[in-house]
This record gives sequence, C-alpha cells and structure tokens, in this order.
Amino acid sequence: MKKKLMFLFSILIIASMVLSACSTPTAAPTAAAKPTDAPKAEVKPTEAPKAEVKPTEAPAAAPTAAPAADKTVLKVWSFTNEIKTMAIAFEGLHPEVDVQYTMIPMTNGEYQTKVKAALKTDDAPDVIALEASFVKSYVESDFLADLGSLLPAAEAAKIYPFVIDVGTADGVTKAFSYQATPGALFYRRSLAKEYFGTDDPAKIQELLSDMDKFTAAAAVVKEKSGGKTFMVASNGDFQNLFFANREQPWIVDDTLVVDPMVVKYVEIAKTFRDNGYEARANQWGEGWFAGMNDSLVDASGTSQKIFSYFLPTWGLPYVLAPNAKSKDGSKDTTGDWAVITGPLPYQWGGTWLGVMKDSKQMDLAKEFVRFCTIDETNLKNWATGVYTNEYLKKIDPTTPDDQKQAAGDFVSSQNVVSAIVSTFDNSDLSKFLGGQNSYGGFAAAAPSVNAKLMTGADDAIQRALNDPIAQYLDGKITIDEMWANWKASVRNEFPDITVP
Amino acid sequence: MRHFRIPRNYYGYFFIAPFIIAFLIFGLYPVYNTIYLSFTDATLMTAKVNFIGLKNFERLFADNFFVTAVKNTWLIWILNFIPQLGIAMLISFWFTDLRLKIKGVGVWRALFFLPNLLMPAAVASLFFSLFSYFGPANQILVRLGFLPAAIEYLQNETITRGLVVFIQWWMWFGQTIIILMAGMTSIPVTLYEAAMVDGASAIQMFRRITLPLLKPIMVYIFVTSLIGGMQMFDIPYLLTDGRGSPSSSILTNNILMYMKFSSSKGHIGAASSVGVLIFIMTCVCSLAIFYLLRDKDK
Repeated sequence: MKKKLMFLFSILIIASMVLSACSTPTAAPTAAAKPTDAPKAEVKPTEAPKAEVKPTEAPAAAPTAAPAADKTVLKVWSFTNEIKTMAIAFEGLHPEVDVQYTMIPMTNGEYQTKVKAALKTDDAPDVIALEASFVKSYVESDFLADLGSLLPAAEAAKIYPFVIDVGTADGVTKAFSYQATPGALFYRRSLAKEYFGTDDPAKIQELLSDMDKFTAAAAVVKEKSGGKTFMVASNGDFQNLFFANREQPWIVDDTLVVDPMVVKYVEIAKTFRDNGYEARANQWGEGWFAGMNDSLVDASGTSQKIFSYFLPTWGLPYVLAPNAKSKDGSKDTTGDWAVITGPLPYQWGGTWLGVMKDSKQMDLAKEFVRFCTIDETNLKNWATGVYTNEYLKKIDPTTPDDQKQAAGDFVSSQNVVSAIVSTFDNSDLSKFLGGQNSYGGFAAAAPSVNAKLMTGADDAIQRALNDPIAQYLDGKITIDEMWANWKASVRNEFPDITVP
Repeated sequence: MRHFRIPRNYYGYFFIAPFIIAFLIFGLYPVYNTIYLSFTDATLMTAKVNFIGLKNFERLFADNFFVTAVKNTWLIWILNFIPQLGIAMLISFWFTDLRLKIKGVGVWRALFFLPNLLMPAAVASLFFSLFSYFGPANQILVRLGFLPAAIEYLQNETITRGLVVFIQWWMWFGQTIIILMAGMTSIPVTLYEAAMVDGASAIQMFRRITLPLLKPIMVYIFVTSLIGGMQMFDIPYLLTDGRGSPSSSILTNNILMYMKFSSSKGHIGAASSVGVLIFIMTCVCSLAIFYLLRDKDK
C-alpha cells in the first residue's frame, strides 16, 4: 500500500512538471532533466547575444543612481536604452526626481511577457515604453491612464496626427511617441542610372509612384540586368505598404475583414515571385542584409544585386547604413543610395510611452511622458545630437559611455522637424544618400501617413498570413487553400473573433 | 515535567519538508491553477474572468490545429527517440563492454554530450542560417552538382521536420549515453564474468543480463524523454517563424499553447486548456510505461 502511494506520488510529481513548466512561464523551475528535449519553455535564449551588442544595457537595468531618501522615484520600463538618455536629461531638469530605468530586451516577446506579468502587481512601473507592434493592445486595454490632459500641448507642438491616432482608442489618448516613423523607399543610384538612365530622386519617384508602375519598373530591372538584379530582396518588403493602405481594419465588430488591399498584396507578391522580381531572401535574414552591400551570391555562385529596400526613418541609421559595407570590407555601397517616398505612404515601428493607471506618481509620470514626447526643446536636443556623453555625465556621472544620442532620429513634432530639417543638409546620413537630405524626405512623407487602422490584434493576424503566403508563392497550395489556412490559424489564435 | 520530544522516526519528514513545501507552492499550485484557468476565458489584458465551462476544449477540437500539434509532437518525438535510444544503447554497450576495453571513453562521452551544452537558440539559428535559401547548404550542394537549383529547405515540410528530428537527436543522445552507461556500470561485473565462463555471447549477455537489469533506468529514460518530447518547444519555435511553419509541419503542443498565450491579449484560459490536455496525455502515457515496464516478479 505504502509503495503504491509513493508510486502515485512520484507520478504526480513527474506529471506536474509537465504542467508547471508550461502553464505559466514564471513557474518553470520545477522541471527536471529531460533527455529528448531541450530544457523547457525558455523562450528567450536568443536575447543573450543581442543584449550584449550594447554594453550599456546591463548597467541600465540597475537604478541609475542610488535612490536618495529625499528623491521621488519614477519607475520606467523600456526595451531599448534610448529613453534612458531622455530620463537622464529629465533628471537634469528635476533634481528631486530619481528615474529608475529598467531595460528588458524585446526579442521573442520577453519584454511584452514581463510587462504582462507585472500588470496589477506592486512591481508595475509608472511609465512603460510600447513598441508599434503591441502598443495598440495596451492602448485598448484597461491598464493605461488617460493622457488626454497632454493633448493641448501636443497640438501646440504640432505632433503628427497619426502618432496620436496610434496612442488613442475609443477617443481616449493613452500614449504618445517622440518619434514619427514614416516609411520610404531606398534605391541604388548606380543601378538606377544603368536601368532608367537617371538617378534623380524626383524622376525615379515618378517612375515608381504607384504599385503598378513599381511592378512595371521591376520588369525593366530584370530585363536590363539579365535577371541579375532584383527589384526587392524579399516579398515581405512591400507588405507594410499594402497593410498600411487598407480601408478597413482587420477586425470590425469582432469579425475578421479581408480588405481588397490584402488581396492586392497577395496578387503582387505572386507576380513578383513568378516573374523573378524578388530575390527570395528572408527579410532580416543574411541574404537580405547581403543585398545591401552587393555581397549576395546565389547558389551557383552568381553575384546578385538588389535595386531597392523599403525602410522607415529608423531603417536608415540602424539598418541600411551599418550594412552598406560587406563583412570583409571589399564591397561598399555608401553614397550610392537615394531615398524617395515610394509607391504608397506607410509607417513602420516606433516607440510610444504610456502611464500605468495605478501609478502612484501620476503627475510626475505624465510630466515625464510630456517631456519625452511633446517638449520641443527635448525633441530638438534629441534629434540634433545635443545629448552627448559629456552632457549626460554632467547630470549623472554614472552614465555609461555610449549613452549618447546621435543626431538623426525623426521626431514627432512638426514644429521641431521644420525647425531643424536644414541642419541635416551636410550630415553623415546625407553623404550616405549621395547628398540627399533624408530628414527632408521623411518630412515630406510624414503628413500622408495614416495609422487609424492599427489594432492590437494586427501583429498576430499579419504573422499568421506569412506561412500560407509562402506556401502559395511556392506553388504548393492554391489561393483558396491559402485563405482557408490563414483563417483557420486566426480562428485558432483568437477565440473571441468571428472568422467568416 | 514531561519532555516534549519528537520521535526519532519522524526526523525524516523534517528533512523532506522543504521540498514538499516548495513542491506544493511551485509545482502543485500551478497545476491546479492551470486546470482552473482552462475553464475560463481569462486573458492577461482584461481584469474580468468568466467561467465558460468546456468551451476552450470544444474550440480546440473545432479545428485541426490541436490534433495536428499532437500528431507532430508524437511523430517528431518517436522519430528522434528510437534512433536516440538505439544509438545510445549501442555506444554505451561498447563503452562498457569488458572485452572491447575502448580507450578514452571519457573523451568520447564528453564529445557526444557536447551538443547538449549549446544553447538551443544558437543551434536553431545555426541551422536556420545553414539551410536558408542563400545559405551554405544550397551553395555547396548546387556547386558540387548534387542539386540542379537552390531549394527552400525550410519551406519543405519533410525537410523541416527532419531537421528538427535530427537536432533533437544530436542534442540529446549524449545525455542518454551518460544515463545508460551509469546504469550499465552499476550492474555487477561478476554476472558478466559468470556468463563468460558459461560461454555466453555478447548478444546473449546483453539480452539476458544488461536489458533486464537496466529496466529501472529504461523507465526513467522513457518517462523523462516522453515528458521532454511532449513539451518540445525551443528548437521548432526558433527554427522557423515560431508558428510551426511550413504548413504547421513543426507545430508542437507547446508552440500551440504559446501561440495562444502570446496572441494580442494573452489568452491564458485557452492556452491552459492545451496545457491540461498535454498533462492528461502525458500522465496516461507515463502510467502506461510504468505498467508495461513494471517488475513482474513482485
């Protein structure tokens, strides 16, 4: 009898490992050795290498200064160390405040999971940073405070309307951003001259001013290069354009809507694949980056080139410019790029700031959000490289050495943008673009961006479409099967949505 | 005056108390909470929780995602477990064989175990890069003439599944070798010596001595491997898009659960229902293994 009891108990222990390891990510530590499989639901290992890229991140996780007893503590959580720069500047203006900054990387959703887990607990921060892919689900939830009191100031600073739209749900504004992230099209000047006889951005823009023209131009590129240059690196490149120009959001009255623009996207993607206008790289994969510096080589050893990339404001300093030189340094496309608005206006990414509803420092938290996202002096300092290491160290001597913010981020206030746009005429970034002032280009593109359609469910719905599309483009399934697979997958992930 | 004394027989309970308490809080409570959540429509982003009965479970069977996930998990686990156990058994038999006396067993064992020390994330991204369209696998195979043109390995269901099976096998057979060797070396040498004196062949000794005496170890390997296999997550999650693509070919139980957990609102109720079904399935199968490999003499 005793033996049986022990036996049952041991089963219970073993079995509970199954559940406790998976039910909640925080309850994992019970799991024991499992020969066939890797340790358990640890989602984050990829983050380790990424987090090490920026050495500042480790110290950033600790409070910026020892919390003095007489200082008011404001807890801020973010997924990059960017906002820490502004937090230090904020401390400079408010010496009585101690901003405790916590950085949690966003890779594979670690940040989102940690924030979700901290909601409604004492550990919850006062201010949280929200990335474009999930800002809407927070704005739509009950967890963020109404920041409507900042709207007059936002109007005075002429914050781009779409930036405010993203932070607004049901007429209540709950988040603001210091950035505006309109998208653009970057193309290779040398290749444009070769195939279109000119590299003048105005003329190229005319050639590529809508998606049909873009497709026609892709045919020209293919023909004149003998199939060795591709219009885009991957079919995911222009996905954002179509999704940003839908008429209806993905979900209307809890029902999934397939907008004609989505249908059109699938059509164009198929055209690009079947005609060989895209290089079949993976967006964010090695081949995709290799195309930026001409080091893309196909399986038989032929060198291939990519004519253009769709990237937003942050794509220039963080993605394109750093990858313009090949790893061995033999190839360099710096200075051979130009930027235009492209076939359709869109926006991509961006960081918003919100205040938790239960924050005990409500006024201070609101003031912090105002300072970061609306204060014109701060935004100007932010965009023009005023926040140097020396500047920050004067306020807080413990500031890490690379905390500085280089000039060039595209900010959300139209007042600031128009005031500083001319300072970028001879910057490093304009040299990268063959003398073109990208800031001016983004300023031209930003007003036509529309973000009214964004909802909290977008990210999951759009990602569910990737695999069915890939199968369809590969010719493995028909277009009807593609739609059916996608809908089944949406139905599976959203128990509360009706899928027709 | 009476002394209050704890009978010596109960000391043991004090020693195991820390584990039992930790187990109740961190092991048992999450289990019951998961079971409770699976009957609700709880999400992480809404404060209100409604009891919805078996609806979560009904939804799981309304489409074929759950069934696909269970099938995939079993298929990948079995395809990886059979060669894993077979090869591990063979190698550990050679390593412990008295006649062969292989040199440098420790070195070999360490080498076989080495893949297990790699981060699953690093392994997954390594294989992702190797088998991407512009990756080295295509470059080498096409240039050497094995393939007429580059193919998208990770768009092919069989190849992707095969990669997951291979990675799982490669990462875990070393671990199984270590456990099996520990089991084999604990078998008294005298038994083998006696068998040799009686003229038994290597195969006979393996079947009549090693296998029966390894039974407790085998139960351990089977059950832990089954639990690990049913929870297979990181490699298939990181190898492709984290949604089991292509065509849900590497969608495992835990990926499905994580998809429900991480979707916009964090549908933890729906995710828990997957967890509960995996729990039941694993329990039943573990019990079956215990039953089939039980000590029949007692």
